[in-house]
Amino acid sequence: MGAPFLFSLYLALSDANVGDPVAHFVGLENFRAALESDVFYIALQNSIVFTVVGAIFKGLLGTTLAFLLLQPFWGRKFVRGLVVIPFTLPISISVLSWKWMYDSQFSVINWFLSRIGLIGSYGSADWPVWLGQPHLALAACIIVNVWRTFPFSAIVLLAGFTSVPTEILDAARVDGTSFMQRFRFVVVPMIAPILLIGFLFDTVFTLSDLSIVYLLTQGGPANATKILPVLAYQVGIQAGALGRGAAISLFLFPLLMPLMILLLRNLRRREY
Amino acid sequence: MAGPRTYRQKEIRRHLWIYGALTPYIIIAVFPIYWMAITAFKQDPDLYRMDAFPLWFHLAPTWKHFSYLFTNTNYGAWIVNTMVIAAWVAVITLLAAVPAGYALARLRIPGAENLGIAVFMTYLVPAIILFLPLARVVSMLGLQDSWWALVLVYPTVTIPFCTWLLMGFFKTVPVEMEEAARVDGCGYWGALVRIVLPVSVPGILTAVIFAFTLSMQDFLYGLAFVAPGDQKPVTVGVPTELIRGDVFFWGSLMAAALMVGLPVAILNNFFLDRFIQGITGGVGK
Repeated sequence: MGAPFLFSLYLALSDANVGDPVAHFVGLENFRAALESDVFYIALQNSIVFTVVGAIFKGLLGTTLAFLLLQPFWGRKFVRGLVVIPFTLPISISVLSWKWMYDSQFSVINWFLSRIGLIGSYGSADWPVWLGQPHLALAACIIVNVWRTFPFSAIVLLAGFTSVPTEILDAARVDGTSFMQRFRFVVVPMIAPILLIGFLFDTVFTLSDLSIVYLLTQGGPANATKILPVLAYQVGIQAGALGRGAAISLFLFPLLMPLMILLLRNLRRREY
Repeated sequence: MAGPRTYRQKEIRRHLWIYGALTPYIIIAVFPIYWMAITAFKQDPDLYRMDAFPLWFHLAPTWKHFSYLFTNTNYGAWIVNTMVIAAWVAVITLLAAVPAGYALARLRIPGAENLGIAVFMTYLVPAIILFLPLARVVSMLGLQDSWWALVLVYPTVTIPFCTWLLMGFFKTVPVEMEEAARVDGCGYWGALVRIVLPVSVPGILTAVIFAFTLSMQDFLYGLAFVAPGDQKPVTVGVPTELIRGDVFFWGSLMAAALMVGLPVAILNNFFLDRFIQGITGGVGK
Protein backbone atom coordinates (compact mmCIF):
# COMPACT_ATOMS: atom_id res chain seq x y z
CA MET A 1 0.00 0.00 0.00
CA GLY A 2 2.83 2.38 0.82
CA ALA A 3 4.73 1.58 -2.36
CA PRO A 4 1.97 2.57 -4.79
CA PHE A 5 1.52 5.78 -2.86
CA LEU A 6 5.19 6.74 -3.21
CA PHE A 7 5.06 5.66 -6.83
CA SER A 8 2.10 7.97 -7.25
CA LEU A 9 4.19 10.84 -5.89
CA TYR A 10 6.94 9.94 -8.33
CA LEU A 11 4.50 9.81 -11.24
CA ALA A 12 3.12 13.18 -10.34
CA LEU A 13 6.62 14.58 -10.66
CA SER A 14 7.27 12.98 -14.05
CA ASP A 15 5.90 13.26 -17.54
CA ALA A 16 4.86 9.63 -17.76
CA ASN A 17 2.08 8.69 -20.13
CA VAL A 18 0.60 5.49 -21.44
CA GLY A 19 2.32 5.57 -24.81
CA ASP A 20 5.81 6.44 -23.64
CA PRO A 21 7.10 4.21 -20.87
CA VAL A 22 10.26 6.25 -20.20
CA ALA A 23 9.38 8.96 -17.71
CA HIS A 24 11.43 12.09 -17.19
CA PHE A 25 11.58 14.07 -14.02
CA VAL A 26 9.71 17.33 -14.52
CA GLY A 27 9.53 18.62 -10.95
CA LEU A 28 6.31 20.31 -10.00
CA GLU A 29 5.31 20.90 -13.63
CA ASN A 30 2.21 18.67 -13.37
CA PHE A 31 0.98 20.43 -10.27
CA ARG A 32 1.52 23.79 -11.94
CA ALA A 33 -0.41 22.63 -15.00
CA ALA A 34 -3.27 21.48 -12.78
CA LEU A 35 -3.37 24.74 -10.85
CA GLU A 36 -3.43 26.73 -14.07
CA SER A 37 -6.41 24.98 -15.62
CA ASP A 38 -9.91 26.28 -14.95
CA VAL A 39 -11.41 22.82 -14.90
CA PHE A 40 -9.31 21.99 -11.88
CA TYR A 41 -10.88 24.75 -9.79
CA ILE A 42 -14.35 23.81 -10.94
CA ALA A 43 -13.65 20.22 -9.96
CA LEU A 44 -12.22 21.24 -6.60
CA GLN A 45 -15.24 23.37 -5.85
CA ASN A 46 -17.67 20.65 -6.95
CA SER A 47 -15.81 18.09 -4.84
CA ILE A 48 -16.16 20.25 -1.75
CA VAL A 49 -19.85 21.01 -2.37
CA PHE A 50 -20.50 17.33 -3.09
CA THR A 51 -18.85 16.23 0.14
CA VAL A 52 -20.13 18.94 2.48
CA VAL A 53 -23.76 19.03 1.33
CA GLY A 54 -23.81 15.24 1.24
CA ALA A 55 -22.41 15.03 4.77
CA ILE A 56 -25.08 17.37 6.16
CA PHE A 57 -27.96 15.31 4.76
CA LYS A 58 -26.36 12.02 5.71
CA GLY A 59 -25.90 13.34 9.23
CA LEU A 60 -29.55 14.33 9.51
CA LEU A 61 -31.01 11.16 7.98
CA GLY A 62 -28.49 8.95 9.77
CA THR A 63 -29.08 10.42 13.22
CA THR A 64 -32.86 10.26 13.03
CA LEU A 65 -32.79 6.73 11.66
CA ALA A 66 -30.34 5.64 14.36
CA PHE A 67 -32.66 6.97 17.06
CA LEU A 68 -35.59 5.08 15.57
CA LEU A 69 -33.61 1.86 15.32
CA LEU A 70 -32.47 2.28 18.90
CA GLN A 71 -36.01 1.70 20.17
CA PRO A 72 -36.91 -1.89 20.83
CA PHE A 73 -39.72 -2.98 18.51
CA TRP A 74 -40.98 -6.05 16.77
CA GLY A 75 -39.18 -6.84 13.50
CA ARG A 76 -36.25 -4.52 14.16
CA LYS A 77 -33.67 -6.82 12.60
CA PHE A 78 -35.72 -7.12 9.43
CA VAL A 79 -36.21 -3.37 9.13
CA ARG A 80 -32.51 -2.86 9.69
CA GLY A 81 -31.75 -5.35 6.95
CA LEU A 82 -34.01 -3.42 4.58
CA VAL A 83 -32.67 0.05 5.26
CA VAL A 84 -29.03 -0.97 4.85
CA ILE A 85 -29.69 -2.28 1.33
CA PRO A 86 -28.40 0.88 -0.40
CA PHE A 87 -25.05 0.50 1.31
CA THR A 88 -24.74 -3.19 0.50
CA LEU A 89 -25.48 -3.00 -3.23
CA PRO A 90 -22.51 -2.74 -5.59
CA ILE A 91 -22.27 0.93 -6.37
CA SER A 92 -22.16 0.69 -10.16
CA ILE A 93 -25.32 -1.42 -10.07
CA SER A 94 -27.40 0.89 -7.93
CA VAL A 95 -26.29 3.96 -9.88
CA LEU A 96 -27.80 2.34 -12.99
CA SER A 97 -31.15 2.16 -11.30
CA TRP A 98 -30.91 5.85 -10.44
CA LYS A 99 -29.90 6.70 -13.97
CA TRP A 100 -33.12 5.10 -15.14
CA MET A 101 -35.10 6.97 -12.48
CA TYR A 102 -33.51 10.21 -13.70
CA ASP A 103 -34.42 9.42 -17.33
CA SER A 104 -35.20 12.57 -19.27
CA GLN A 105 -38.64 11.37 -20.34
CA PHE A 106 -39.69 8.27 -18.39
CA SER A 107 -38.36 9.42 -15.03
CA VAL A 108 -40.47 7.87 -12.29
CA ILE A 109 -39.51 10.75 -10.01
CA ASN A 110 -40.96 13.24 -12.45
CA TRP A 111 -44.05 11.09 -12.89
CA PHE A 112 -44.61 11.26 -9.15
CA LEU A 113 -43.91 15.00 -8.90
CA SER A 114 -46.21 15.68 -11.80
CA ARG A 115 -48.94 13.52 -10.24
CA ILE A 116 -48.91 15.46 -6.99
CA GLY A 117 -48.92 18.68 -8.99
CA LEU A 118 -45.48 20.06 -8.21
CA ILE A 119 -44.45 20.14 -11.85
CA GLY A 120 -46.28 20.21 -15.16
CA SER A 121 -46.55 17.34 -17.63
CA TYR A 122 -43.83 16.17 -20.00
CA GLY A 123 -42.75 18.89 -22.42
CA SER A 124 -43.75 21.78 -20.18
CA ALA A 125 -41.12 24.30 -19.10
CA ASP A 126 -40.81 23.12 -15.53
CA TRP A 127 -40.29 19.45 -16.43
CA PRO A 128 -36.89 18.81 -14.81
CA VAL A 129 -34.22 17.06 -16.85
CA TRP A 130 -32.26 15.77 -13.88
CA LEU A 131 -29.00 14.96 -15.55
CA GLY A 132 -29.16 17.69 -18.19
CA GLN A 133 -29.44 20.87 -16.13
CA PRO A 134 -26.24 21.94 -14.31
CA HIS A 135 -27.58 22.52 -10.79
CA LEU A 136 -30.00 19.64 -10.92
CA ALA A 137 -27.26 17.32 -12.14
CA LEU A 138 -25.04 18.10 -9.16
CA ALA A 139 -28.03 17.70 -6.85
CA ALA A 140 -28.87 14.39 -8.52
CA CYS A 141 -25.34 13.09 -7.86
CA ILE A 142 -25.49 14.22 -4.24
CA ILE A 143 -28.86 12.53 -3.78
CA VAL A 144 -27.45 9.21 -4.96
CA ASN A 145 -24.48 9.58 -2.66
CA VAL A 146 -26.69 10.41 0.32
CA TRP A 147 -29.03 7.54 -0.54
CA ARG A 148 -26.15 5.12 -0.67
CA THR A 149 -24.38 6.14 2.54
CA PHE A 150 -27.04 7.30 5.02
CA PRO A 151 -27.52 3.71 6.24
CA PHE A 152 -23.81 3.62 6.97
CA SER A 153 -24.06 6.77 9.11
CA ALA A 154 -27.09 5.34 10.88
CA ILE A 155 -25.39 2.05 11.69
CA VAL A 156 -22.20 3.68 12.90
CA LEU A 157 -24.23 6.00 15.12
CA LEU A 158 -26.30 3.08 16.35
CA ALA A 159 -23.12 1.25 17.34
CA GLY A 160 -22.13 4.39 19.22
CA PHE A 161 -25.45 4.89 20.99
CA THR A 162 -25.64 1.31 22.17
CA SER A 163 -22.16 1.58 23.66
CA VAL A 164 -23.31 4.27 26.11
CA PRO A 165 -24.16 2.58 29.43
CA THR A 166 -27.77 3.20 30.43
CA GLU A 167 -26.69 3.82 34.05
CA ILE A 168 -24.97 7.01 33.00
CA LEU A 169 -28.05 8.21 31.13
CA ASP A 170 -30.23 7.38 34.12
CA ALA A 171 -27.90 9.26 36.42
CA ALA A 172 -28.11 12.28 34.16
CA ARG A 173 -31.89 11.99 34.08
CA VAL A 174 -32.02 11.92 37.87
CA ASP A 175 -29.97 15.11 37.85
CA GLY A 176 -32.80 16.76 35.94
CA THR A 177 -31.34 17.08 32.47
CA SER A 178 -33.49 17.42 29.37
CA PHE A 179 -33.25 15.04 26.43
CA MET A 180 -31.26 17.50 24.37
CA GLN A 181 -28.90 18.18 27.26
CA ARG A 182 -28.30 14.49 27.76
CA PHE A 183 -27.65 14.10 24.06
CA ARG A 184 -25.33 17.07 23.83
CA PHE A 185 -23.32 16.69 27.07
CA VAL A 186 -23.38 12.97 27.75
CA VAL A 187 -23.92 10.97 24.58
CA VAL A 188 -21.99 13.04 22.06
CA PRO A 189 -18.77 13.32 24.09
CA MET A 190 -18.88 9.60 24.87
CA ILE A 191 -19.30 8.48 21.30
CA ALA A 192 -17.08 11.18 19.80
CA PRO A 193 -14.34 8.74 18.72
CA ILE A 194 -16.81 6.53 16.87
CA LEU A 195 -18.44 9.56 15.30
CA LEU A 196 -15.06 10.76 14.15
CA ILE A 197 -14.15 7.44 12.59
CA GLY A 198 -17.47 7.15 10.81
CA PHE A 199 -17.22 10.71 9.59
CA LEU A 200 -13.69 10.17 8.38
CA PHE A 201 -14.51 6.99 6.50
CA ASP A 202 -17.49 8.56 4.89
CA THR A 203 -15.57 11.65 3.84
CA VAL A 204 -12.88 9.53 2.27
CA PHE A 205 -15.44 7.40 0.43
CA THR A 206 -17.36 10.41 -0.79
CA LEU A 207 -14.41 12.55 -1.74
CA SER A 208 -12.70 9.78 -3.65
CA ASP A 209 -15.68 8.12 -5.24
CA LEU A 210 -15.83 8.32 -8.99
CA SER A 211 -18.51 5.82 -9.94
CA ILE A 212 -21.63 7.86 -9.17
CA VAL A 213 -20.64 10.91 -11.19
CA TYR A 214 -18.86 8.93 -13.87
CA LEU A 215 -21.87 6.74 -14.57
CA LEU A 216 -24.53 9.39 -14.21
CA THR A 217 -23.07 12.35 -16.06
CA GLN A 218 -19.35 11.83 -16.85
CA GLY A 219 -18.84 15.21 -15.21
CA GLY A 220 -21.23 17.07 -17.53
CA PRO A 221 -23.24 19.05 -18.45
CA ALA A 222 -20.51 21.62 -19.04
CA ASN A 223 -18.38 20.43 -16.09
CA ALA A 224 -21.25 21.08 -13.67
CA THR A 225 -20.64 17.77 -11.90
CA LYS A 226 -16.95 17.35 -12.56
CA ILE A 227 -15.26 16.32 -9.32
CA LEU A 228 -11.56 15.66 -8.75
CA PRO A 229 -11.63 11.84 -9.09
CA VAL A 230 -13.48 12.07 -12.41
CA LEU A 231 -11.04 14.67 -13.67
CA ALA A 232 -8.08 12.54 -12.55
CA TYR A 233 -9.51 9.53 -14.35
CA GLN A 234 -10.23 11.40 -17.54
CA VAL A 235 -6.81 13.03 -17.63
CA GLY A 236 -4.83 10.06 -16.34
CA ILE A 237 -6.42 7.10 -18.12
CA GLN A 238 -8.64 8.34 -20.93
CA ALA A 239 -6.19 11.01 -22.12
CA GLY A 240 -3.22 8.88 -21.07
CA ALA A 241 -1.34 11.56 -19.13
CA LEU A 242 -0.54 9.47 -16.07
CA GLY A 243 1.62 12.15 -14.46
CA ARG A 244 -1.01 14.84 -14.82
CA GLY A 245 -3.70 12.53 -13.48
CA ALA A 246 -1.60 11.50 -10.51
CA ALA A 247 -0.96 15.14 -9.66
CA ILE A 248 -4.70 15.87 -9.71
CA SER A 249 -5.56 12.90 -7.54
CA LEU A 250 -2.85 13.88 -5.07
CA PHE A 251 -4.63 17.17 -4.52
CA LEU A 252 -7.19 15.10 -2.64
CA PHE A 253 -4.55 14.40 -0.06
CA PRO A 254 -4.27 17.87 1.48
CA LEU A 255 -8.06 17.84 1.73
CA LEU A 256 -7.92 14.61 3.73
CA MET A 257 -4.79 15.38 5.72
CA PRO A 258 -6.32 17.47 8.55
CA LEU A 259 -8.91 14.74 9.15
CA MET A 260 -6.28 12.06 9.31
CA ILE A 261 -4.09 14.00 11.74
CA LEU A 262 -7.08 14.62 13.94
CA LEU A 263 -7.91 10.95 13.93
CA LEU A 264 -4.38 9.81 14.62
CA ARG A 265 -4.05 12.14 17.59
CA ASN A 266 -7.32 10.88 18.92
CA LEU A 267 -6.21 7.26 18.61
CA ARG A 268 -2.90 7.96 20.34
CA ARG A 269 -4.57 9.71 23.22
CA ARG A 270 -6.90 6.84 23.88
CA GLU A 271 -4.12 4.32 24.09
CA TYR A 272 -2.98 5.56 27.49
CA MET B 1 -58.00 -6.81 33.11
CA ALA B 2 -57.58 -3.08 32.72
CA GLY B 3 -53.90 -3.04 33.56
CA PRO B 4 -52.46 -5.39 30.90
CA ARG B 5 -54.79 -4.07 28.20
CA THR B 6 -53.66 -0.47 28.58
CA TYR B 7 -50.08 -1.68 28.56
CA ARG B 8 -50.81 -3.58 25.38
CA GLN B 9 -52.55 -0.60 23.83
CA LYS B 10 -49.59 1.54 24.73
CA GLU B 11 -47.26 -0.93 23.10
CA ILE B 12 -49.36 -1.07 19.95
CA ARG B 13 -49.48 2.70 19.74
CA ARG B 14 -45.72 2.89 20.23
CA HIS B 15 -45.16 0.35 17.49
CA LEU B 16 -47.44 2.24 15.12
CA TRP B 17 -45.47 5.39 15.78
CA ILE B 18 -42.16 3.71 15.10
CA TYR B 19 -43.35 1.94 11.97
CA GLY B 20 -44.87 5.16 10.71
CA ALA B 21 -41.65 7.05 11.26
CA LEU B 22 -39.60 4.29 9.66
CA THR B 23 -41.75 3.96 6.55
CA PRO B 24 -40.20 6.87 4.63
CA TYR B 25 -36.70 5.52 5.29
CA ILE B 26 -37.67 2.08 4.11
CA ILE B 27 -39.32 3.45 0.99
CA ILE B 28 -36.28 5.58 0.18
CA ALA B 29 -33.93 2.66 0.75
CA VAL B 30 -35.87 0.01 -1.13
CA PHE B 31 -37.62 1.89 -3.91
CA PRO B 32 -34.70 1.89 -6.40
CA ILE B 33 -34.47 -1.89 -6.02
CA TYR B 34 -38.20 -2.31 -6.55
CA TRP B 35 -38.00 -0.08 -9.59
CA MET B 36 -35.12 -2.16 -10.88
CA ALA B 37 -37.09 -5.37 -10.42
CA ILE B 38 -40.31 -4.19 -12.01
CA THR B 39 -38.43 -2.74 -14.97
CA ALA B 40 -36.57 -5.99 -15.50
CA PHE B 41 -39.82 -7.94 -15.89
CA LYS B 42 -41.82 -5.45 -17.94
CA GLN B 43 -42.34 -5.76 -21.68
CA ASP B 44 -40.95 -2.87 -23.70
CA PRO B 45 -44.30 -1.32 -24.71
CA ASP B 46 -45.29 -1.41 -21.05
CA LEU B 47 -42.00 0.22 -20.05
CA TYR B 48 -42.07 3.21 -22.34
CA ARG B 49 -45.42 4.78 -21.80
CA MET B 50 -46.33 7.81 -19.80
CA ASP B 51 -50.06 7.52 -19.30
CA ALA B 52 -50.27 4.48 -17.05
CA PHE B 53 -49.39 3.98 -13.40
CA PRO B 54 -45.71 2.99 -13.71
CA LEU B 55 -45.31 0.99 -10.51
CA TRP B 56 -47.22 -2.06 -11.66
CA PHE B 57 -47.60 -4.31 -14.74
CA HIS B 58 -50.09 -3.50 -17.49
CA LEU B 59 -48.92 -6.28 -19.81
CA ALA B 60 -47.88 -9.75 -18.73
CA PRO B 61 -44.44 -9.95 -17.06
CA THR B 62 -41.68 -11.35 -19.26
CA TRP B 63 -38.35 -13.16 -19.02
CA LYS B 64 -37.29 -11.72 -22.36
CA HIS B 65 -34.77 -9.25 -20.93
CA PHE B 66 -33.03 -11.99 -18.99
CA SER B 67 -32.73 -14.37 -21.90
CA TYR B 68 -31.49 -11.52 -24.10
CA LEU B 69 -28.61 -10.98 -21.68
CA PHE B 70 -27.38 -14.53 -21.92
CA THR B 71 -27.86 -14.98 -25.67
CA ASN B 72 -26.81 -11.61 -27.09
CA THR B 73 -24.24 -10.20 -24.68
CA ASN B 74 -21.15 -11.23 -22.73
CA TYR B 75 -23.15 -11.24 -19.51
CA GLY B 76 -22.44 -14.90 -18.78
CA ALA B 77 -18.72 -14.36 -19.31
CA TRP B 78 -18.70 -11.36 -16.98
CA ILE B 79 -20.30 -13.35 -14.20
CA VAL B 80 -17.77 -16.14 -14.65
CA ASN B 81 -14.93 -13.56 -14.67
CA THR B 82 -16.18 -12.00 -11.48
CA MET B 83 -16.50 -15.31 -9.68
CA VAL B 84 -13.04 -16.48 -10.79
CA ILE B 85 -11.47 -13.14 -9.85
CA ALA B 86 -13.16 -13.21 -6.46
CA ALA B 87 -11.99 -16.77 -5.82
CA TRP B 88 -8.39 -15.94 -6.70
CA VAL B 89 -8.46 -12.81 -4.59
CA ALA B 90 -9.82 -14.77 -1.63
CA VAL B 91 -7.11 -17.42 -1.97
CA ILE B 92 -4.27 -14.91 -2.33
CA THR B 93 -5.59 -12.84 0.54
CA LEU B 94 -5.79 -15.81 2.87
CA LEU B 95 -2.33 -17.05 1.90
CA ALA B 96 -0.89 -13.67 2.86
CA ALA B 97 -3.15 -12.57 5.68
CA VAL B 98 -3.26 -15.77 7.77
CA PRO B 99 0.51 -15.97 8.43
CA ALA B 100 0.78 -12.20 8.78
CA GLY B 101 -2.15 -11.90 11.17
CA TYR B 102 -0.89 -14.84 13.20
CA ALA B 103 2.61 -13.42 13.42
CA LEU B 104 1.29 -10.06 14.57
CA ALA B 105 -0.98 -11.62 17.16
CA ARG B 106 1.51 -14.04 18.66
CA LEU B 107 5.16 -13.47 17.93
CA ARG B 108 6.33 -10.48 19.89
CA ILE B 109 7.35 -8.26 17.04
CA PRO B 110 8.14 -4.72 18.16
CA GLY B 111 5.56 -2.26 16.93
CA ALA B 112 2.89 -4.89 16.34
CA GLU B 113 0.25 -2.88 18.22
CA ASN B 114 0.80 0.17 16.07
CA LEU B 115 0.45 -1.92 12.96
CA GLY B 116 -3.27 -2.11 13.57
CA ILE B 117 -3.40 1.66 13.23
CA ALA B 118 -1.07 1.58 10.23
CA VAL B 119 -3.32 -0.88 8.40
CA PHE B 120 -6.25 1.26 9.31
CA MET B 121 -4.61 4.33 7.83
CA THR B 122 -3.75 2.57 4.58
CA TYR B 123 -7.39 1.66 4.29
CA LEU B 124 -8.11 5.34 4.27
CA VAL B 125 -5.84 6.15 1.34
CA PRO B 126 -8.44 6.23 -1.38
CA ALA B 127 -8.25 4.06 -4.46
CA ILE B 128 -8.39 7.13 -6.63
CA ILE B 129 -4.89 8.09 -5.48
CA LEU B 130 -3.57 4.59 -6.02
CA PHE B 131 -5.12 3.58 -9.32
CA LEU B 132 -2.77 5.57 -11.55
CA PRO B 133 0.47 4.13 -10.13
CA LEU B 134 -1.15 0.70 -10.17
CA ALA B 135 -2.08 1.28 -13.80
CA ARG B 136 1.61 1.68 -14.48
CA VAL B 137 2.46 -1.57 -12.69
CA VAL B 138 -0.29 -3.38 -14.56
CA SER B 139 0.90 -2.18 -17.94
CA MET B 140 4.51 -3.01 -17.11
CA LEU B 141 3.44 -6.58 -16.40
CA GLY B 142 1.44 -6.64 -19.64
CA LEU B 143 -1.79 -7.49 -17.85
CA GLN B 144 -3.91 -4.55 -18.94
CA ASP B 145 -6.03 -6.58 -21.32
CA SER B 146 -7.19 -9.32 -18.99
CA TRP B 147 -8.91 -9.75 -15.69
CA TRP B 148 -5.66 -11.05 -14.21
CA ALA B 149 -4.84 -7.38 -13.65
CA LEU B 150 -7.63 -7.29 -11.07
CA VAL B 151 -6.41 -10.46 -9.36
CA LEU B 152 -3.15 -8.58 -8.91
CA VAL B 153 -4.71 -5.33 -7.73
CA TYR B 154 -7.54 -6.26 -5.35
CA PRO B 155 -5.28 -7.95 -2.81
CA THR B 156 -3.57 -4.60 -2.18
CA VAL B 157 -6.84 -3.63 -0.52
CA THR B 158 -7.93 -6.94 0.96
CA ILE B 159 -4.64 -8.10 2.48
CA PRO B 160 -4.12 -5.22 4.95
CA PHE B 161 -7.72 -5.26 6.10
CA CYS B 162 -7.92 -9.04 6.43
CA THR B 163 -4.58 -9.20 8.24
CA TRP B 164 -5.96 -6.82 10.79
CA LEU B 165 -9.23 -8.70 11.03
CA LEU B 166 -7.54 -12.06 11.48
CA MET B 167 -5.08 -10.64 14.00
CA GLY B 168 -8.05 -9.82 16.19
CA PHE B 169 -9.40 -13.34 15.84
CA PHE B 170 -6.10 -15.04 16.54
CA LYS B 171 -5.65 -13.00 19.70
CA THR B 172 -8.84 -14.50 21.10
CA VAL B 173 -7.48 -18.04 20.79
CA PRO B 174 -5.94 -18.97 24.18
CA VAL B 175 -2.18 -19.40 24.00
CA GLU B 176 -2.49 -22.42 26.30
CA MET B 177 -4.21 -24.41 23.58
CA GLU B 178 -1.26 -23.88 21.30
CA GLU B 179 1.25 -24.64 24.03
CA ALA B 180 -0.53 -27.89 24.68
CA ALA B 181 -0.30 -28.72 20.98
CA ARG B 182 3.36 -27.88 20.97
CA VAL B 183 3.99 -30.14 23.96
CA ASP B 184 2.27 -32.87 21.99
CA GLY B 185 4.83 -32.41 19.23
CA CYS B 186 3.46 -29.78 16.87
CA GLY B 187 5.70 -26.98 15.64
CA TYR B 188 4.57 -23.37 15.35
CA TRP B 189 3.21 -24.20 11.94
CA GLY B 190 1.52 -27.38 13.10
CA ALA B 191 -0.13 -25.56 15.98
CA LEU B 192 -1.37 -22.90 13.59
CA VAL B 193 -2.84 -25.37 11.10
CA ARG B 194 -4.29 -27.87 13.59
CA ILE B 195 -5.43 -25.69 16.45
CA VAL B 196 -5.69 -22.01 15.62
CA LEU B 197 -7.18 -22.21 12.15
CA PRO B 198 -10.04 -24.58 13.02
CA VAL B 199 -10.96 -22.36 15.97
CA SER B 200 -10.81 -19.25 13.80
CA VAL B 201 -13.11 -20.49 11.04
CA PRO B 202 -15.60 -17.62 11.54
CA GLY B 203 -12.81 -15.10 11.16
CA ILE B 204 -11.48 -16.77 8.06
CA LEU B 205 -14.96 -16.92 6.55
CA THR B 206 -15.35 -13.22 7.24
CA ALA B 207 -12.09 -12.54 5.45
CA VAL B 208 -13.26 -14.62 2.48
CA ILE B 209 -16.57 -12.77 2.32
CA PHE B 210 -14.72 -9.49 2.46
CA ALA B 211 -12.47 -10.51 -0.43
CA PHE B 212 -15.52 -11.64 -2.41
CA THR B 213 -17.64 -8.58 -1.82
CA LEU B 214 -14.77 -6.24 -2.56
CA SER B 215 -14.19 -7.96 -5.88
CA MET B 216 -17.86 -7.63 -6.69
CA GLN B 217 -18.23 -4.03 -5.56
CA ASP B 218 -15.25 -2.44 -7.19
CA PHE B 219 -15.84 -0.25 -10.19
CA LEU B 220 -12.82 2.02 -10.53
CA TYR B 221 -10.09 -0.58 -10.92
CA GLY B 222 -12.11 -2.72 -13.29
CA LEU B 223 -12.96 0.31 -15.38
CA ALA B 224 -9.38 1.53 -15.52
CA PHE B 225 -7.52 -1.71 -16.06
CA VAL B 226 -9.64 -4.04 -18.15
CA ALA B 227 -10.50 -3.00 -21.68
CA PRO B 228 -11.69 -6.02 -23.75
CA GLY B 229 -15.43 -6.61 -23.58
CA ASP B 230 -15.31 -10.29 -22.69
CA GLN B 231 -12.74 -9.82 -19.91
CA LYS B 232 -14.66 -7.40 -17.73
CA PRO B 233 -16.05 -8.18 -14.32
CA VAL B 234 -19.80 -7.91 -14.19
CA THR B 235 -19.99 -4.62 -12.26
CA VAL B 236 -18.00 -2.93 -15.02
CA GLY B 237 -19.39 -4.82 -17.98
CA VAL B 238 -23.02 -4.02 -17.29
CA PRO B 239 -22.73 -0.22 -17.16
CA THR B 240 -20.10 0.12 -19.88
CA GLU B 241 -20.95 -2.53 -22.48
CA LEU B 242 -24.73 -2.72 -22.29
CA ILE B 243 -25.12 0.98 -22.98
CA ARG B 244 -24.48 1.65 -26.63
CA GLY B 245 -24.26 5.32 -27.49
CA ASP B 246 -27.47 6.99 -26.50
CA VAL B 247 -29.69 3.94 -26.73
CA PHE B 248 -30.53 2.46 -23.37
CA PHE B 249 -32.17 -0.96 -23.16
CA TRP B 250 -33.47 -0.36 -19.69
CA GLY B 251 -35.24 -3.69 -19.41
CA SER B 252 -32.15 -5.80 -19.90
CA LEU B 253 -29.96 -3.30 -18.04
CA MET B 254 -32.13 -3.59 -14.97
CA ALA B 255 -32.33 -7.36 -15.33
CA ALA B 256 -28.54 -7.49 -15.39
CA ALA B 257 -28.29 -5.18 -12.40
CA LEU B 258 -30.84 -7.15 -10.43
CA MET B 259 -29.12 -10.48 -10.90
CA VAL B 260 -25.81 -9.12 -9.60
CA GLY B 261 -27.16 -6.74 -7.03
CA LEU B 262 -29.39 -9.03 -5.00
CA PRO B 263 -26.87 -11.77 -4.14
CA VAL B 264 -24.15 -9.25 -3.33
CA ALA B 265 -26.51 -7.23 -1.16
CA ILE B 266 -27.47 -10.34 0.79
CA LEU B 267 -23.84 -11.41 1.26
CA ASN B 268 -22.90 -7.92 2.33
CA ASN B 269 -25.71 -7.78 4.82
CA PHE B 270 -24.08 -10.66 6.68
CA PHE B 271 -20.73 -8.95 6.57
CA LEU B 272 -21.89 -5.48 7.55
CA ASP B 273 -21.76 -5.90 11.33
CA ARG B 274 -18.24 -7.21 11.20
CA PHE B 275 -17.21 -4.35 8.96
CA ILE B 276 -18.69 -1.73 11.28
CA GLN B 277 -17.06 -3.47 14.23
CA GLY B 278 -13.79 -3.47 12.35
CA ILE B 279 -13.78 0.25 11.76
CA THR B 280 -15.29 1.39 15.05
CA GLY B 281 -13.93 -1.35 17.32
CA GLY B 282 -10.40 -0.03 17.14
CA VAL B 283 -11.42 3.08 19.03
CA GLY B 284 -14.79 2.27 20.55
CA LYS B 285 -13.58 0.31 23.51
